[in-house]
Order: sequence, then structure tokens, then C-alpha cells
Amino acid sequence: MTRGRKLALVLPVLAFAGVAVLALGVAAGSARSHKQAATFKAAWIYVGPHDDHGWSQAHDQGRLYVQKHLGSKVETTYKELVPEGPQTCQVIESLVRDGNKLIFATSFGFQDCMVSEAKKHPDVDFEQATGTALSKNLAEYFGAAEDAIYLSGMAAGAASKKGVIGYVVPFAIPEVIRHANAFALGAQATHPGAKVRLIWTNSWLDLSKEKKAAQALVSAGCDVLGQNVDSPATGEFAESKGVPWVGYDSNAQTFAPKQWLTAAIYNWGPYYLRRVKAAMNGTWKSGFYYGSLNDHLVGLAPYGKKVSAKTKRAIAAKKAALMSHKFYEFAGPLHDQSGKLRVKKGQKLSVHQLYAMNWLVKGVIGSPKG
Amino acid sequence: MRIERRLAQPRWLMLVVPLLSLVVAFVVATVILLATHHPPLHSFRRLFDAAFLANGALTETVVSATPLAFTGLAAAVAFRMNLFNIGAEGQLYAGAITGATMGLLLGGAPSPVTIAVMILAGSAGGALLAAIPGVLRAFFSTNEIITSLMLNYVMALVIDYLIFDSHSYLRETKGFNASVFPQGKQLPDAATWSSWTIHGLVLPLGFLVAIGVAVGLWFLYSRTRFGFEVQVIGDSARAGRYAGMRTRRKILAVMLLSGAVAGLGGASQDGDFRHQLDPRGLTQANYGYTGIVVAALARYNPFAVVVVAFLLGGLQNAGYTLQGADFPNGLVGVLQGLILFCVLGGELFVRYRIRFERRPSTAAPATQ
Repeated sequence: MTRGRKLALVLPVLAFAGVAVLALGVAAGSARSHKQAATFKAAWIYVGPHDDHGWSQAHDQGRLYVQKHLGSKVETTYKELVPEGPQTCQVIESLVRDGNKLIFATSFGFQDCMVSEAKKHPDVDFEQATGTALSKNLAEYFGAAEDAIYLSGMAAGAASKKGVIGYVVPFAIPEVIRHANAFALGAQATHPGAKVRLIWTNSWLDLSKEKKAAQALVSAGCDVLGQNVDSPATGEFAESKGVPWVGYDSNAQTFAPKQWLTAAIYNWGPYYLRRVKAAMNGTWKSGFYYGSLNDHLVGLAPYGKKVSAKTKRAIAAKKAALMSHKFYEFAGPLHDQSGKLRVKKGQKLSVHQLYAMNWLVKGVIGSPKG
Repeated sequence: MRIERRLAQPRWLMLVVPLLSLVVAFVVATVILLATHHPPLHSFRRLFDAAFLANGALTETVVSATPLAFTGLAAAVAFRMNLFNIGAEGQLYAGAITGATMGLLLGGAPSPVTIAVMILAGSAGGALLAAIPGVLRAFFSTNEIITSLMLNYVMALVIDYLIFDSHSYLRETKGFNASVFPQGKQLPDAATWSSWTIHGLVLPLGFLVAIGVAVGLWFLYSRTRFGFEVQVIGDSARAGRYAGMRTRRKILAVMLLSGAVAGLGGASQDGDFRHQLDPRGLTQANYGYTGIVVAALARYNPFAVVVVAFLLGGLQNAGYTLQGADFPNGLVGVLQGLILFCVLGGELFVRYRIRFERRPSTAAPATQ
């Protein structure tokens, strides 16, 4: 008998043994899994990585805030890079199976699955960010980032010499359009007549497209960059070219230590903590929450060195006016790109109108259709 | 020590080698999990649970497996002829577009008619797109890998354009929801593909169609003259031509077939799962590229493709269940990659064997 043959006889035995050991392990493991967890379980679903230094990271900071405040009373987890479509439903299913009683989905594309899963699991509470669907156990939440973006636009306008500012934008949807409008209005407040040039990436997070967009904006003559996309790729490019940069979502100063101005950021922690606590003691109710500067859901990240004391004072004054409702960036008169009067003097856009905004204000260069 | 080709490939090897590869993968995975301070047994149990054992897990696995079965079959059909259609991704988009269009157009028609037309339209859409690299390859000897791959990017832009950048027929323009985020028109109820529930396991029509396609392809390749000729041409195009086979026609036919199967997968996405043309979801899922892995793992055998798609669908779902605050997503990728790498690498031992000896044996001639 050759060595090869002997080996051939041993192989199936080994294979069988291996599989048997695995099966035993699986069986032993599942026997243990049935013990009931006493801690309250909550979960978050992200469209990008949890450490994207942008949108998803802001939500993950909120999750960690909850975990820090409630300690061993809660067990939080997240699912990242979840594709939209049937996979979302599968992820929610598995979260429910794992015993999560409150599930936050943080991208609009998750909404369809959130709606169907909420119907399927009436004993679990669901919260959808940036969406519109409501039911008994499905709540909606978002923040008036436009107010903070307006303030960050003021920093961009003050930093611009030529008055042409580049803004890297994901999708031509009302959320992004109102953010771009707020940014442009802010820039025009500190730099009258400033123009904001848009480039759409058609993706929330795409590092290479974002960098290319930033590149194109700078070669088109923009001397300050801003963004509404999730990653700090624009900032890295801005730093390398010596162009001042306004971020978004999270404090990403480390990516452009010299060129960093500021960013409109989200502070989801307190809201998440309130909701988790409510779900724990049974007082959770569905509803629509639109956080503001006043409840600190949105705000400005720390300023960089390039922001002058004068600009800081101007922003602080506008912030106070916004918080006391003496000022609102979407109050008339507002003109669109073609100069047509869209909001009359004395009128204000409602949140409902902001959610369907499909026109760009005067001074924005780009199409509201993408 | 030397590696030589096996003269015969015993049947038991086909079963033992993949099993053993899995064992090796799990042993290596155990080491990695221990090194990163994760309990290996608990992790493996969660993996199996999420993919197959837990309540409702099988249903979810079938959902993930269905598109992979279609793209896997699409790749297998073409690769068998050494025709490398990398374009299943774009062909699936094309099928999703034509399928959804027909579903919407036939708004009021009875369900069986609508479903049948969607199936035909999806296949036609995929086949039409595949015809481009097919014709270029058959008549101009253009490299089909490049052309089919490039068309994937083109189709990704087209499908985005239809929903995001235009007011196309497929885009929903009415209602508050549609103004908040661009989306496809909801397909009528009649365009929802049927599904059957057996002991809690939901079998979507798409999955059954995929099995049917697998049977058809097996019959075509092992029982018909067409299949025989395709394989001869695949092994040696010149030999095929000398034997009087029409090579160009075969190349075109196989390309169309491959595209049609992928397109059918796109229509199944519309009808079975998404119920609208969903560019964001489809372009994020990478079904076409994963299908190539499925086909390779299945050694281009249509039945094996369905089984592998099922296993890979489970593995994919298990990955999402496993990842979380205490289990980095990167580690999930490492585990999935390990399993695939070991199983694909194990292939070597089916076709070759390793001999340990000082001098080449005089008894066994090593033929190449």
C-alpha cells in the first residue's frame, strides 16, 4: 500500500471527525443560547462603516453615549455597510431574533423594510431617520441640520476670496437641496453675491468620487470647499491643495488640521438616550422628531485656525438669532436660480415644504435634478 | 515532493475534498478568532444559526440565494465554453429594467400573464445587452471580458439615470414620499411573483425558476448536440471548426443564453422582492460578481450552482448577523474569505495529487 492510498483512507475519517466536532460544538452552543437576557437590547443600522468620520459615525457616537449612560442595563449593537433592499429586511429580522427591542435605521433606503418589519413585529419599536413613514411602532426622527449648515456656510463665505465655493453633494433630493441652499445662503451672508458650485456624486459615501468631485471643483475656480457627503475625502484633498474646508456630520478636523473651518454636526446621543429609556420603561411612543439648535441635536464643530474672530462673532450672533427664532434662513424673500421669487416676503417654509424642496436658491451653480 | 495531475478523479474525492477544505477553514478561523479574543464555538454557532438553523433563517437565505443562483448560472453557462461573460451584473440590471417596465405596462392584466411577460422581458433584456459583447466577440474577436465588464458600468449609470436623473416612466413622481427621495414606481399587485410556504419556509417563484433553469441547462449541456458542440468549441475552437461546427453562432448563442439567465435574475428581483426598480439596492448588492464565485465553486455544474448559491446566501446573511459592536465587520470578511479560499484552493487536490518520494517513480508515468 502506497503512502497516498493510506492517506486516502485517513482523509474521510478525518473529515467526518471534523464535521462531528463542529456539529457537537454547534449543538452545545445552541443549548446555551436559550437563557433569557435581562438587559435591554437596542440596535442601529448604518449604510456606511461605523467609523466613516461622517454620518454613520455621528450615529455610532450616539449609540456609545447611550451605552455609557445606561451601562450594563442595555446592550447596544450595530450593523454597518448594510445594502438597501431585501438584505435590509434580513438584517432587521436577525436583529429581532437576537432580542433587540428598539431598532434605529439611519438611512432613507432602509425605510421600506422598516415599514414591513414593523408590521411583522408589533412587540418591537422601530425608528427611522430621515424618512416619512409612521405607524404605531415606527417613529421618524431627523434634525434641522440646515440651520447649522447655514452657520457653517457663513464660515465658508468669510474664508473665500473669490466668492466661489465648491460643495460636494450626494443625491439631488430635497434633504440635500435644502442643505445646499442653506449653505449658499450662509455663504452669501458673509460674502455678498457668493456663488456655490455643486457636484453630485450619486452616493452617500464614495471616497474616490468625492475626491474627484473636490478636484473638479477646485479646478473650476472654487477657493473654499464644503460637503454634504459622508466621508472626509474632500477634506483630505482640500488640505493637500491648501483650500479651506467645511465638513459635515462629524468633527473631522484631524483630516485637514490646517484648512479646517468648521462643520455642521449632529449630536444624536441625548435623543437616543431619551428614546431608549422610554422603550425600557414602556413609555415609548411613535412620532416625528425634528431636532434643532435649541435641543443641541445639531450644532457646529469646533472652529479651525482659519476662522477669524470677526467671523466667529458674526456666526455667534446669527446662531443666537436662529435659536430665539428672530432669524430663519428660509424666510422670504427667496429667489431661485433663475431669479424667480419662490418665497414671498413675510413667508416661511414649513418643515413639510423643506422635506419636498426641489429648487436651488440664487447663486447656486448646478442642477436640482442631479 | 512533487505535484502531479491525477489520471482519474475518483468520485469520493469530489465530496471529501470540499468537506476537508471546510474543516481546514474552520481550524484556521478558530485560530484567528482565538487570537482576536472571540469565542470560536459561539461564533460558529451564530454563523450556522443565522444561515440555516434559526427560525426563519432558511427563508432569508433563499432570498439571498435566488439572485446568486441566477448570476451563478449565467456565469457557468458561458464559462463552460471558456467564454468569460463578466457582465452578469449589468445584464441583471437590464433584466430588472425591462421586467419592471413590462410589469408596469401590464398594470391591469391577470397575474399569471403579467408574471410570464416579466420573465420573458427580463430574459430578453439581459440577452440583448449580452448580445453586444457576444457579437463583438463572435465577429470581431474582441475580448469579451473587457466589453462585458465595461457594460456593467454603463448599465449602472443607466439604471441610476432612470430613477435619479430623469422623470422616466419607471420613476414615481407622485406623492410626498417620492418627492423626499427618488424611487421607482410601485409595481401593481398582479406583478408580485407568487411564493409557496412549506413548513414556514417561503419559496419564492424566482428560486423555483432558477432550479428549473438549472435543470434545463443541465439537459442542454449533457443531452443535446448543442451542448456537446459548445463544450468541444470550449476545449478547442479550432478542432470545433475542423469538425464543421459553427463557432460564431455558438458563441453568440451562449452569450445570449448567459445574458438571458442573468436578466431573469433581474426580473426576479423586481417581482419577488423589491416590487419596483431599485437602482440603489441593485448596485450595492454586487450579485453579478458574486455569481462568478458561485459558478467557480460549483465547477460550472448547474445543480451545484444552485446548492452553492444557497450556501453562499447563507454565509452572506450569517455575516450580517455576526457583525456588530463586539465583532468587527472586517473579521466577518476574513472568515467568509477563508471559507471561500479554502474551498476553492482545495480544488487543487481534486485534480492533482502530491507525491512524497526522492525520485520519480518508474511505475506511474506522469502524463500531462
